[in-house]
Amino acid sequence: MAIKSIKKNIIVKNKQGLHARPAALFVQIANRFDSQITVGKDNEVVNGKSIMGILTLGATRGSEIVLEAIGSDAEEAILELERLLARDE
Amino acid sequence: MKIMDFLSTKAVSANIKSADKDSVLKELVGVLIDAGDVDKKNKNKLIELLKAREALGSTAIGQGVGIPHAKSDCVSSLTAAFGVSKKGVNFESLDGEPVYIFFLLLAPQDSAGPHLKALARISRLLKDKYFRESLKSAEDEKSVLKIIQQEDEKKI
Repeated sequence: MAIKSIKKNIIVKNKQGLHARPAALFVQIANRFDSQITVGKDNEVVNGKSIMGILTLGATRGSEIVLEAIGSDAEEAILELERLLARDE
Repeated sequence: MKIMDFLSTKAVSANIKSADKDSVLKELVGVLIDAGDVDKKNKNKLIELLKAREALGSTAIGQGVGIPHAKSDCVSSLTAAFGVSKKGVNFESLDGEPVYIFFLLLAPQDSAGPHLKALARISRLLKDKYFRESLKSAEDEKSVLKIIQQEDEKKI
């Protein structure tokens, strides 16, 4: 399968930002995909399959993050992760 | 935000003895009570809140680190306890690894901002493998504190 690279800017909608629970959910979803997944905010880019990495960003509600997936299932990965980040909880 | 902004020097244990999840939560709350950071009368309530949070999903965040946390107005600002287990505790982490390093975090209601910042700070420091290893091998509370304070000063 072809390797794809998809990048997408997303606004965090979760009420309390990317705190521990959404970060754990994010990683659980990210781990279902073979693609390499990163999350960027400001000048920092972290591994999207590491809870600690995501927490490091301290992404509050309304902040903009950059999701990037590289791999054969990049498209599905971004779609699923975006869905999680759009949840208002 | 620095770790030492919300961790008092007394709320540290270099030798967590509990071997399972519930006992660790109790022991960490005990550390906070002994440090004088929370009133003893809140003990059972806090343990229940922490357990309820764990039931939603483990607060183990990988690499042998756990951050049990709860919101409660028995603290007026963000308050933490720190503990190291030499043997490691099964904390139902996503990566299946035992947890050695614990940061217990209590936040008053309506403090999502500071809570998120504290999580970010803890994660930023604990991402460093060398830092984690030195905490695990620290002999006593004094050394643990020194290691945390040094790293806290070093990192922006």
